[in-house]
Amino acid sequence: MSLWENIKMALMSVKAHKMRSILTMLGIIIGVAAVIVVVAIGQGGEAMLKSQIAGDGNTIEVFYQPSEEEMQQGKWEENPFTQEDIRQLEGIEKVSNVVASSSEFSTANLRDEEAETSITGINEAYLDVNQLKVEKGRSFTNADFLGGRRVAIVSAAMQEELFDGKSPIGEIIRIGVQPVEVIGVLEKPTGLFAFGSVETYIPWTAMRNMLGTNNYSQVTLQVENADDIQPIGERATTVLNQLHDTEDSYQVINMEEIAQGIGQVTTIMTTIIGSIAGISLLVGGIGVMNIMLVSVTERTREIGIRKSLGATRQQILLQFLVESIILTLIGGIIGIILGAGTAYLVSFFADWPSLISWQVVLGAVLFSMLIGIAFGLLPANKASRLDPIDSLRYE
Amino acid sequence: MIQLEEITKSYTLGKESVNVLRGISLVINSGEFVAIMGPSGSGKSTLMNIIGCLDRPTTGSYLLNEEDVSQHKDQELAKVRNQSIGFVFQQFQLLPRLTALKNVELPMVYAGASKKEREERARDALAKVGLQDRVEHLPNELSGGQKQRVAIARALVNNPSLILADEPTGALDTATSVAIMDLFVQLNQEGTTIVVVTHEPEVAEYANRVIYVRDGLLGQNPFEKGGQTR
Repeated sequence: MSLWENIKMALMSVKAHKMRSILTMLGIIIGVAAVIVVVAIGQGGEAMLKSQIAGDGNTIEVFYQPSEEEMQQGKWEENPFTQEDIRQLEGIEKVSNVVASSSEFSTANLRDEEAETSITGINEAYLDVNQLKVEKGRSFTNADFLGGRRVAIVSAAMQEELFDGKSPIGEIIRIGVQPVEVIGVLEKPTGLFAFGSVETYIPWTAMRNMLGTNNYSQVTLQVENADDIQPIGERATTVLNQLHDTEDSYQVINMEEIAQGIGQVTTIMTTIIGSIAGISLLVGGIGVMNIMLVSVTERTREIGIRKSLGATRQQILLQFLVESIILTLIGGIIGIILGAGTAYLVSFFADWPSLISWQVVLGAVLFSMLIGIAFGLLPANKASRLDPIDSLRYE
Repeated sequence: MIQLEEITKSYTLGKESVNVLRGISLVINSGEFVAIMGPSGSGKSTLMNIIGCLDRPTTGSYLLNEEDVSQHKDQELAKVRNQSIGFVFQQFQLLPRLTALKNVELPMVYAGASKKEREERARDALAKVGLQDRVEHLPNELSGGQKQRVAIARALVNNPSLILADEPTGALDTATSVAIMDLFVQLNQEGTTIVVVTHEPEVAEYANRVIYVRDGLLGQNPFEKGGQTR
């Protein structure tokens, strides 16, 4: 008897007991769906965390962290990056942009209103690389940077804070005692970790003129190729440490290590929750075995008839095995559809990406088939061993 | 065709051993129509199971078509049942969810026949028992007599050398019984060996030869030689 005959027979039997089949499959459906959802959300979260940390713009931040020895020698500097540093960094191969800024907290006044804000003096590359878009008004021009014009772009939160949400374009605010004209407002940030903070950006040259800050406090490199982030970061620290004659004061964070660490954590989390979901799959499998055992008892007479007509033990075994595999396989496929749908809904409503990889789907199909085989063997074996004479007499 | 030599069969019930068959030797030739009779508990069902290769004898040899099947393994017995024997049961034993046609196809499914061949031969077999217009009916849409005809069609579809019927009219009324027995006679006349197990003398009358079983042994006809066995 061909396998196809067996499959047709099994499908018929599944169809003949619709309600029972659905209830049996339910355990598998829920189990598979749970595994798919957990893994999809876990992997999606991991991808999102990694992109948040590494930034989408191929950037790497250079830190200034002098050793205690150097601190004791009084070598600490508040704004450790000089303009010469920036020029040198820009000279490094494959560096597409050097973002430099210097910021401090200050009070901004608009007539009687007052707001606490961070004032960030930025260079030309800052807005682009940080993907900050000017929504209203205009962005800085080259002339603004070169002339050190006292113009400012404010964040959306700042607009709320100081201007009561009204358009601030053209208003003159005072930072300390210095008047600055607001020329633009930034787009509200989106994303999981983006909080609208109260910020004011001015050209770095204006910052120098107004507050007397000579150097930059923060430097971020943008490189052409994501794979080059780490080597170029290392190169930049070597250059800076040489320029300043320091041992290891200029450092970069090893993004790869962090990304790996996050990957490990999320993998462990996904594995733990996935295993719990897997247990429900196991329970579902036991449910299949249970029903198949009942089905064997219920169909004792059928088995007897088939045997008297010449069915061998192997043929009966295969019949019941195929039936439980079909049950779990259908359940698995429904579970995949349900799981994928749920993962999609979660990512749609929670703004959390979900990644359904074909490996997980294939794994779920194979695993549910495996469950079908594992938990179908006992009932199928029982069926195949039934004595034809007893089975024919069975009422 | 059937050659039983000193067949015994014993079962162990707990610590006790029960000898159901105590040495039966019997020859049934090809083309015969034989009835096996005996009171209940006589061992006639066990004898039928052994002849039908559903069971193996404890001792003794059984040649079916010159082949010793008494020590066959399960798998080989299944093949013998499939190829050489057709069963007809008192309770019809049709699969309730299959149409008459599919029921008749079953032995050929296990024989590995192609779908086309199965359907063709199943239709022929059903036509032979007069059910050509009932092929797509489910068993519960058929009368008792029709069900038994389907069962007979199923029994003869693999062209077995032997049809074994266990109380084939036990669940049928008299008129239908006569029709079914006539069908057996017709099949016998076409060359099929038929063995009917029954306790009804009316059924046994259709046979060319009657074998009596009593207490696990072959006995004599209690009707011919009255007082002897009573």
